[in-house]
Amino acid sequence: MTDVTITVNGSVRSASVPPETTLLKLLRDVFQLTGTKLGCDVGDCGACTVLVDGMAVNACLMLAAQADGRQVLTIEGLAMKDRLHPLQKVFEESGALQCGFCGPGMLLSAKALLDDNPDPSSHDIRDALAGNLCRCTGYSKIVEAVQDAARAMRDPRTEDTRQLEMHGHD
Amino acid sequence: MKRRGRGIACMWYPIGFTVDANPSAAVVKVNEDGTATVLTGTVETGQGSLTVLGQIAAEALGIAADDVHVVSADTDVTPMDTGAIASRTTYVTGNAIRLAAENAKAILFETAGPMLQVMPSQLEARDRKIQVKGFPQRSVSIGEVAKRAQVGLGRPPIGSASWNPPTVAMDPETGQGKPFSTYVYATQIAEVEVDDETGEVDVLRIVASHDCGTPINPMLVEGQVEGGISMGIGFALQEEMLFNAQGCQINPNLTNYIMPTSLDMPEIVVDIVENYDPTGPFGAKGVGEPSLVPTAAAILNAIHDAVGVRITSLPATSEKILTAIKAKRAGERKQVPA
Ligand code: FES
Ligand code: FES
Repeated sequence: MTDVTITVNGSVRSASVPPETTLLKLLRDVFQLTGTKLGCDVGDCGACTVLVDGMAVNACLMLAAQADGRQVLTIEGLAMKDRLHPLQKVFEESGALQCGFCGPGMLLSAKALLDDNPDPSSHDIRDALAGNLCRCTGYSKIVEAVQDAARAMRDPRTEDTRQLEMHGHD
Repeated sequence: MKRRGRGIACMWYPIGFTVDANPSAAVVKVNEDGTATVLTGTVETGQGSLTVLGQIAAEALGIAADDVHVVSADTDVTPMDTGAIASRTTYVTGNAIRLAAENAKAILFETAGPMLQVMPSQLEARDRKIQVKGFPQRSVSIGEVAKRAQVGLGRPPIGSASWNPPTVAMDPETGQGKPFSTYVYATQIAEVEVDDETGEVDVLRIVASHDCGTPINPMLVEGQVEGGISMGIGFALQEEMLFNAQGCQINPNLTNYIMPTSLDMPEIVVDIVENYDPTGPFGAKGVGEPSLVPTAAAILNAIHDAVGVRITSLPATSEKILTAIKAKRAGERKQVPA
C-alpha cells in the first residue's frame, strides 16, 4: 500500500491505496468525487481531466502516488460557494453541453487554458480542447462559450472576476 | 497542391411513423402557486427535449418555461411514451403535452369565467394570468384560478392526454401508403480543401439550412445540427468499424476508431428555415437525426468538385482519395494521343 496525501479542492485528504491506483480511481472510488468521469481509462478521451498544480492532466494516466503532496482541482471545486465559475455559467447559458459527459473534463481543460492565456483565439481553444472528445455538440458552442467566458473574466467590471481572484484555488 | 471545392446535398427525413401505433401520453398539473408540473415518459439524453417540452406546456398555459417542472422517464409514475427515438419527441410527445395542457387550461377557463363574469370561451392564458381577450386588465393570476378550481369547484386543474399520429396501414399489394406523419427538409453545403499529393481533406466550412417546423428553442436546434454535422464529418472522413474474419471488431478503442476532435471541426453556419406544420405542437416538427443526413454527401460532392474524383465508399480516407486521383491521372495520360 502507498500513502497518498493530496490537497483536493482546497482540503487536505489522505488515503492508503495499492501502488497501481490511478489518480482517477483515488478521486472517484476513494474520495467519492465522481464528477470526474471515466471514459476510456487509457488517455484517449479526456473525460477524466483534472488540474494538478494548475496543469490539465488525464487522471487515468497519473498514479495516485504521483499526485502526492500536490494540489488537485476537480469539477467539484470549480464553482465558488454561492456561484458558478464564469466558464460554468456561460456553458450553462449557451447550451454548450448536451449529455454533459465530456463537461467536467472540458471545463477543466478550458480553465487551464484561460489561466495561462486570458485572451485565446478560437484556434488556441480548439488546440487546448483537442484531447477532450465530445460526441454530442460538434464543439461549436463549447469553443464560443470559452471565448465568451474569457471575455467576461477579462472585463474588470464583472463581479465574477473579483470573486475568482479572491477565491484563488490554485 | 491544395485544391478547394464545394459540394451540396439535400435531404428529407420522416417524423412520426404511422405504420404502427406510435403514442405518447402526458399529464399536466397546474399548481396553486401558478407553476405547472408535467409528467412524461420520455427520456432526456442531453438533446434538450425536456426544455422544449416544458416550453410547449408553458406556451399552452401562458406561463414562463421556468414555471414548469418536468418529471420524466420514471416508468413507475410517468405515462407511456413510445420512446426518445426516430426524432419524434418534440412532435409526438410535444403534441401530447400540448393537449394535456389544453385540458388543464379548460378547467382554469371554466373556473375563471364566473370570477371575471365572462364566458370561458372569451378567456385566454397569458403572462401568468387568465384574462379576458382584448381586455388584459380584466384578469386573475393563474395560481389564484388554480386554487379556486381546487377548493371552490372541487376540480383540480389537471389535464391528461395522449397523441398518436393517425395510424395508416400500408397497401398490402403495392406497399404504398403514408408511412409517416410529416417530413423535415435540409440542405448542407460543404467547402473543403483536398491535398492532391496526399489525398488529405480539410473541411473548411459547412453551411446547414434546416426546416424543422417552428424552432421551439433555436439554440437547441443549433446544438442538434452542429452535433449532427460532427457525426456526419466523422462518417464522411474518419469513422469506420473494422472486423476480422471471426467478426470481432479490431479497432474498438478511441486510438484506432477515430472520431472528430475540436481541431477537425470547421466553422459551422446553421440557418434555421422557419416553417409551420399545422400537425405539430405550435408548428414544430423535429431535428435530431436529420441533422447529419446530408453532411457526408455534401463533403464527398465537395471532394469531387476539388479534385474530380468520386469516392463511393465511406469513410473517404486519404488513401482512397489518393488512389482515385492517381487512377484518374493514369486514365488521362492514356487518353493523350501518341
Ligand atoms: S478516462 Fe482518462 S482519458 Fe479517457
Ligand atoms: S456533451 Fe455529450 S459528450 Fe460532450
